[in-house]
Amino acid sequence: MVQLRPRASRTPASAEAMVDEGQPASEEEAEHGLLLGQPSSGAAAEPLEEDEEGDDEFDDEAPEELTFARAQEEAREEERRVRETVRRDKTLLKEKRKRREELFIEQKKRKLLPDTILEKLTTASQTNLKESPRKLKEVNFQKKNEECEKGSHSKKVKEKVQKVQSVSQNKSYLALRLKDQDLRDSRQQAAKAFIHNSLYGPGTNRTTVNKFLSLANKRLPVKKAAAQFLNNSWGTQNKQNAKRFKRRWMIRKMKTSKM
Amino acid sequence: MGEFKVHRVRFFNYVPSGIRCVAYNNQSNRLAVSRTDGTVEIYNLSANYFQEKFFPGHESRATEALCWAEGQRLFSAGLNGEIIEYDLQALNIKYAVDAFGGPIWSMTASPRGSQLLIGCEDGSVKLFQITPDKIQFERNFDRQKRSAIHKMNVDRRYMGVSKRKCIVWGVAFLSDGTIISVDSAGKVQFWDSVTGTLAKNHLIANADVLSIAVADQEDSFVVGTAEGTVFHFQLVSVTSNSNEKQWVRTKPFQHHTHDVRTVAHSPTALISGGTDTHLVIRPLMERVEVKNYDAALRKITFPHRRLVSCSKKRQLLLFQFAHHLELWRLGSTVATGKNGDTLPLSKNADHLLHLKTKGPENIICSCISPCGSWIAYSTASRFFLYRLNYEHDNISLKRVSKMPAFLRSALQVLFSEDSTKLFVASNEGSLHIIQLLEGSFKHLHAFQCLSGTVEAMCLLAVSPDGNWLAASGTSAGVHVYNVKLLKLHCTVPAYNFPVTALAIAPNTNNLVIAHSDQQVFEYSIPDKQYTEWSRTVQKQGFHQLWLQRDTPITHISFHPKRPMHILLHDAYMFCIIDKSLPLPNDKTLLYNPLPPKNESDVVQRRTAHAFKISKIYKPLLFMDLLDEKTLVAVERPLDDIIAQLPPPIKKKKFGT
Repeated sequence: MVQLRPRASRTPASAEAMVDEGQPASEEEAEHGLLLGQPSSGAAAEPLEEDEEGDDEFDDEAPEELTFARAQEEAREEERRVRETVRRDKTLLKEKRKRREELFIEQKKRKLLPDTILEKLTTASQTNLKESPRKLKEVNFQKKNEECEKGSHSKKVKEKVQKVQSVSQNKSYLALRLKDQDLRDSRQQAAKAFIHNSLYGPGTNRTTVNKFLSLANKRLPVKKAAAQFLNNSWGTQNKQNAKRFKRRWMIRKMKTSKM
Repeated sequence: MGEFKVHRVRFFNYVPSGIRCVAYNNQSNRLAVSRTDGTVEIYNLSANYFQEKFFPGHESRATEALCWAEGQRLFSAGLNGEIIEYDLQALNIKYAVDAFGGPIWSMTASPRGSQLLIGCEDGSVKLFQITPDKIQFERNFDRQKRSAIHKMNVDRRYMGVSKRKCIVWGVAFLSDGTIISVDSAGKVQFWDSVTGTLAKNHLIANADVLSIAVADQEDSFVVGTAEGTVFHFQLVSVTSNSNEKQWVRTKPFQHHTHDVRTVAHSPTALISGGTDTHLVIRPLMERVEVKNYDAALRKITFPHRRLVSCSKKRQLLLFQFAHHLELWRLGSTVATGKNGDTLPLSKNADHLLHLKTKGPENIICSCISPCGSWIAYSTASRFFLYRLNYEHDNISLKRVSKMPAFLRSALQVLFSEDSTKLFVASNEGSLHIIQLLEGSFKHLHAFQCLSGTVEAMCLLAVSPDGNWLAASGTSAGVHVYNVKLLKLHCTVPAYNFPVTALAIAPNTNNLVIAHSDQQVFEYSIPDKQYTEWSRTVQKQGFHQLWLQRDTPITHISFHPKRPMHILLHDAYMFCIIDKSLPLPNDKTLLYNPLPPKNESDVVQRRTAHAFKISKIYKPLLFMDLLDEKTLVAVERPLDDIIAQLPPPIKKKKFGT
């Protein structure tokens, strides 16, 4: 693996950085070496020496000597620090997750009905399912369960049944799945659209009612006008504006004539 | 008779909905008609084609098929995937069963009437068993398998041969194995079910052929086209003495202007209905035994019930539509003129209120109180009561909440003359009296239903002094209740034709009843017997032309100052019966026009009889006496209805 030498930036501010570059650079390098899967510190015995590239000036001083032991210690420190941070992050995340879970459970509990009603529901449904099915007078209900008992459909079992019998004294209601209702509505709309298209869609030979009723008028010996000659809905906005203007003008006229 | 100023009202924008399916029941001679808004109406064909019952519509119900099963049970199936059974006694929906096959396109009952077969969107044909109180799923036929069930009517869409998709609108299966199909290319095709080949092809129209119905004896059938033409096909022998028969197109009928979406074949008549909202019943001359006026064409266009109520004190009219109510104030004029003049309006009619109903259901009945401060209406599941306040020219509306639980759905609602009491006929058979207080109400009493089956929709009438309440609709006759003592007073003897209109006269408290066979009876409530005049009329009988009228009398009212006058109207005439004048016999002219003033007295005396009929205002939806000198006539010209219908098929005529 190629170990890239750090390149100093061209800005003058980094000149000081360059001078100080010695120590941190070497540590960085050491880190890099470790992280890049270089042989572990135990194996390498030579000091990692890097020349401070970047300062092009030829420094006569010899590079600082870095003993292996020190480098090793520093490397270990770094390692430990990194591990610590990772652990801390993990624990923080864990805590966050735990808190969020609790929050969700709280919200869910709040959303549900109070326990008393739930109890009533479960006991009521148990007792009612044991009884023979009563005749319900609601218009929109699905009797899936009974159909399944007859043993005819098998592919529709995956749809759920929800039949809630009357719980409170005055009300009686039924719970239905909205998804089923949407599906039914969309099919009904599609069917209606099919009929409309085949009767009134493109390709059918339709005409307006006005033209239809005026056919007789056109063939009379004395030709008459069309059945709906006037279009009463033409220019309604203009007519309304004109009426309003007239009313205001009249009022103004009355005022001026009084004075 | 006197002079009247007549308010001619044409702003009631009444448009009936198109007819989608008809089903004929042979045993009871009744016709069930289903409309596009979901309303199902039952016509009694033997009671002068009177609409005796109806089930209000619902927005989500798109009925595609209607059929009768054994025991007078009526079923309908629609695009919402449900099979609905109608309860003809309680006048509500018994139950709705979801067939789980998607939209249902067609339905038919087995010849014995014990099984129902439906064709669903997903391609399956399902068989249901009809049990005494419900229907039960029995079997599911897959798309490929064929079953040997006779008279199977299935609408299935498949690709055809022509360049545009050819849709088969109707199929009929005869017992000798012939299949007749009608499609959107205008063809009637005869197929052989054994070999699966086309036997005969009739091209009868340029547009779609939309419906087919076969007679019970299978020797004739009728088809309806999108152009409004109805064709009659008959099985005729090839030559006069050969045994070989073939299907021949015999008669075309053009009674409709728009698509004929449904036809039915009764033993004696062809019935058709379509988008132009007319129900046409054409008796076939070769099958009718007695050739009298009954064999004439019947076209039912206007409703057989009253859709308009009137508040006389404030000159308000309440119009009932399917999903909303409209309140209008009549205009006024200060001009005077001679007989026949049109007087200019000094103040136009005012549209005061547009009250929309909540929910998808249609409005069954509505009423406004005579003082104009209360409006009540009912749908199939809820009852609404509103209080109106008038300040200067403004009107404010306040709903009375918390209606009592027993008041779910009302078949008829009526206010008393002093607007303090509300009478409600609920569909459970009971009659409720509710006292109206300033902001609330109090339930006074409920009369339970007595013996007798429900024959027709309930009609109510209350006497102007508030003592008597009359209710019709059961087979037991018209019941008269004493409102002050809260008990049943008497029952008018039952008559075999349903009641079409009911009213109680002021002061004399005579109950005037009009039946669907155009008979009018007058019954005195205090004396508990028919009046003298009524007996005389029954002995002599009505004039022939009076009995031959097509449309039923829908409203009866009285003149406050002239107790001898009865004002009644049907769709094409209004009549003032003067009880003091002699009755016409069959030889006199019934519809005598107003004799000019300079005719001699002798002529006037000879032509004067009790029935003063005027046909000036037609078609009439409502007519009433506002005060002594004013009448209001709500007309609905047929052209105005046709102008709002869907587009018809183009007809190419030479020279246009």
